[in-house]
Amino acid sequence: MKKYAVFLGCLIPQRLPSVELAARKVFELTNIEAVDLEGYTCCPDPILARLMDRKMGLSLAARNLSLAEKLGLDLVVLCNGCYETLFEGNESLKHEPELRREVNETLARIGRSYEGKIDVNHVVEVLYEDVGIERIKKLVRRPIRAKLVIHPGCHLFREHEGVDIWRKIRQLEELVLATGAEVVHSKLDRLCCGFPTMAVNEELALKQNLQPKLECYQHAGVDGVVVCCPACGVQFETGQVLLRKYGARFNIPCLHVVELLALAFGVPARELALGFHRSPVPQLAAKVVGDV
Amino acid sequence: MPSGAEIVERLKSEAGVLSAGVERERKVSAAIESAAIQNIAQTLFNSGARFVIIAAADKGLDIDLLYHFDLGGTLIVLQTSVAKEAPEIESIAELVPAAEWAEKEVAELFGVNFRGHPKPGHFQLPDDWPTGDYPLGKPFKPKLPDEICPVAESITSVGATAPLTPLMQRKREEAGLPAQPPASYSDEASLREVHELARYTEFDKLAGYDWKKKKLRGSR
Repeated sequence: MKKYAVFLGCLIPQRLPSVELAARKVFELTNIEAVDLEGYTCCPDPILARLMDRKMGLSLAARNLSLAEKLGLDLVVLCNGCYETLFEGNESLKHEPELRREVNETLARIGRSYEGKIDVNHVVEVLYEDVGIERIKKLVRRPIRAKLVIHPGCHLFREHEGVDIWRKIRQLEELVLATGAEVVHSKLDRLCCGFPTMAVNEELALKQNLQPKLECYQHAGVDGVVVCCPACGVQFETGQVLLRKYGARFNIPCLHVVELLALAFGVPARELALGFHRSPVPQLAAKVVGDV
Repeated sequence: MPSGAEIVERLKSEAGVLSAGVERERKVSAAIESAAIQNIAQTLFNSGARFVIIAAADKGLDIDLLYHFDLGGTLIVLQTSVAKEAPEIESIAELVPAAEWAEKEVAELFGVNFRGHPKPGHFQLPDDWPTGDYPLGKPFKPKLPDEICPVAESITSVGATAPLTPLMQRKREEAGLPAQPPASYSDEASLREVHELARYTEFDKLAGYDWKKKKLRGSR
């Protein structure tokens, strides 16, 4: 059994606990032992928080990494933003001894240190590489009969040097296909959902990022959007509500890949608390797996 | 006349001097606590120093005051700051008469109250200038952009981008999850570590975090 420290981040516990529930179910069903990372902080968020102050940002990231290192476990992350911060922080701390020394000087103030002994993994690569597509297919009890579009999100493209940046994006698509769903491609797959811009210019983020994507999806007649990042998920859901004030109406469900897998594995929708969503995800579940 | 290094040593022995050093040839700088201004000014004055000027700069949350003295051709700059919530400092005009007009100028242009000033009041602005309008003052706000302030406040206080609301805690329980995730805000010891990091990295100062009020100074 593979064992990881699970990093929940800020958004999932606060806005989408259904993703937390689904992830726990999926880990259990795929025989992955997920240990809670007790006392973790914000990763910190790669757009606003991390860029406010490099020293504080790296210190918080290093502290999170040190918590996992103390457990002797690699991290599994359910959010693209957390993935980018922790992955890049880890790479810097592993390969820049002087930086690691500086950061450890700060961590020593709170009785911690980080030696660079763990790896940071996105849940997509953990499911693809540790569990494998064949096993995932065998676990599917209720094939997803739906036409879905995948929004991989920007930060999923972060990779080790020399590795194809599309690696995890392909893995995500194979995971979705393994559930039995049809995957539709859109010309705007690579366009950012607009989440990071929301804090600065809501109208721009909604009209120039989210709306064109939704129009594209609506035109393609998709049943839903699959993401692997709660920030993108929140943007797709809250964004559709906010777009109404600009005269644009959409009602496209958006769910995290672990929720899709949990539904396909036969976990009853009511156990996933899909009502946390602000888009018609419960209705999608009822339609595609006949469950409520 | 004392050398820059000797002036630095003398300053360092004074109470309220936070740091001092020779910045370049014939220039000494020292950071001091605002409460120490009278004692240090008196020491310099007694050593034969000549008052030059007070420069001020509005830094958003605080007003920096730079007291310039000259001692035998060496410029000595004492830097201190006053919080804009209560921009006050003791006047040195009774000790150093030449500072009288400089303090009035800073008072009128920045709104700093020099306590005990012998002749407070109008200095150089037009007579009909509105009371409480300080032409060189800036808005009372942190250095960080407005959009980032809520996140900076939340990360410093709870270690997360936003605090977990009581409503969401209840909903989490109803969904079969613990009311709180295993995050720093669920555990006092972890929260203390976050606060220590914020202090040590001086992120609290950058963000203008008020530890007593648990919010950013001057944020909207």
